[in-house]
Amino acid sequence: MSYIHVEGLCKSFGVRRKREKGALLRKKETVRALQNVSFDIERGGLVGCIGPNGAGKSTTVKVLSGILTPDEGTVTVGGRIPWKDRKQHVRRIGVVFGQRMQLWWDVPILDSYALLKDMYRLTDDAYQKRLAELTEALGLKDMLHTPLRQMSLGQRMRAELCGSLLHQPEILFLDEPTIGLDAVSKLALRDFLQWENREYRTTILLTTHDMEDIAALCSRVMVLGHGQKLYDGSLSELLSRYDTLRTITVHYDDVPGPIVFSDGPRVSRQGKTVQITCQTDQLDMNEMMPLLQRAGAVREMTIQPQNIDHLIAAMYREMDL
Amino acid sequence: MNTIRLYCKSMAMLIRSQLQYPASFLLQTLAQLIMEGGELLAVILLVRRFDHLNQWTPGNLYFFFGLMSVSFYLTECFGRGITGAFPSMVRTGQLDTLLVRPRGVLTQALCTAADPRRIACIAVGLVSLFRGSVLSGISWSVPLLLLLAESIFCSFWLILGLFLIEAILCIYSVKSVELANTLTYGGRSACQYPVDTYPRPLRVLFTVAAPFALVMHIPAAFILGKPVWNLPAWAAYVTPLAGIVLFAVMYLLFQAAMRHYRSTGS
Repeated sequence: MSYIHVEGLCKSFGVRRKREKGALLRKKETVRALQNVSFDIERGGLVGCIGPNGAGKSTTVKVLSGILTPDEGTVTVGGRIPWKDRKQHVRRIGVVFGQRMQLWWDVPILDSYALLKDMYRLTDDAYQKRLAELTEALGLKDMLHTPLRQMSLGQRMRAELCGSLLHQPEILFLDEPTIGLDAVSKLALRDFLQWENREYRTTILLTTHDMEDIAALCSRVMVLGHGQKLYDGSLSELLSRYDTLRTITVHYDDVPGPIVFSDGPRVSRQGKTVQITCQTDQLDMNEMMPLLQRAGAVREMTIQPQNIDHLIAAMYREMDL
Repeated sequence: MNTIRLYCKSMAMLIRSQLQYPASFLLQTLAQLIMEGGELLAVILLVRRFDHLNQWTPGNLYFFFGLMSVSFYLTECFGRGITGAFPSMVRTGQLDTLLVRPRGVLTQALCTAADPRRIACIAVGLVSLFRGSVLSGISWSVPLLLLLAESIFCSFWLILGLFLIEAILCIYSVKSVELANTLTYGGRSACQYPVDTYPRPLRVLFTVAAPFALVMHIPAAFILGKPVWNLPAWAAYVTPLAGIVLFAVMYLLFQAAMRHYRSTGS
């Protein structure tokens, strides 16, 4: 059986609506956060999970990490049922919540780590070795004596990551780890995750809204929406389904003459620059190049697929999310 | 053993982090001193006006007041994670971070908060306890001192157990429930005075439901040499255990309630 096995997972929450005028009792409404979700992840896999807000991503992570008990379905992680044997289970997992700090706010992070060492009952040797390794890889060496509150968001996220990996978990769950980070911090974080995954075969499941994270890290992506699994496979295959638009930008030496296509491609002009948008099935550079060159001397030209976020937005629209 | 070390280390760290803001710490401690000093003043004014309350002399009343102050604020100082921080941990979803660590939720909750400012209130309580014991002319012996320690120890668990009611309720309703405060803070205010000064319904409440009388008043009355309700001597040593029983019951209920925890936020 695979390392993480999820089958028929269902979880719903009762939400109390605001009391309506005249009504005596508040109405209770059931929100189905997860409906019959199944998937398997092998040891050492690096899987991304995307979906619009409220799709059930966090609920999935919470069930897998033993925080929530599902209503129905079987879940095993490394042969254990997360919510049945919570303490044994969480010993082997690391969880990072992008929007929730787990380290202590006012004390140097080294003190927080020392406390985590006791919490996980780590031996001195294992702790020192792992700490040295992680602080090196995450560039935290100079900050060990800095309190968390004095750190920037990027530093804080690295510190959090170090804290949740001290006990060398077999699985790492990341809930929106790159939220609010600048480009440098994001890149550093991704590099580190790849390193950890390669070095220790740590299984990583991350949820994110940042498609670049997925593109850079994950060989496999799952799309959740309305509590259901809508897609499970490679990112490139997913994108190719929705990748139907190309934008051609042409810079001319001078203001170009008229450019007329028979039908399809839309042309917009601004000074010496011309922008053409067309469907991929209408794209034929053999035909277009001569037309473009007839209008003037081409200085520079780029052909771009649509931004990955647009593709995902198109996908969500199509799936009615 | 490891758990106790973990708790001590956490406490040391929390106190250090409070001291990161020394001015604020000093001012708040001072405020606590004034607040609890005011409570003591109320007792002083009372005993000035009346020279006794039932069979209790002014010294006895100081003793009862001191016992409650020391017990209650020890609980608030070291049990802050349950007495104060827990509802907000549920509301903000911070409880999730406790659930992903291999320790009990209550252990960790206790490890996440401390309130060292309460030391001022504890000091006021100690002064009152000392003054009361001098005025009442208690002839201290080892068994009596042990009984006092037992009473304070069991009171700690009793009060923590009562605060657990609020924790349990807020797991279900997410929002903090003020109702539970009638037993905790209400119990503190009421049971600063010996329970036999109250009408019957309150006596029953504080003996059976929130057994402050069993945990504090019976042993205190015995120490003061005025056993209540004609109880034998050994009873004074046994009744405080009610506090631990109450905590144990609440602990089990809490564990059951945690299974209903539903988490909030993304």
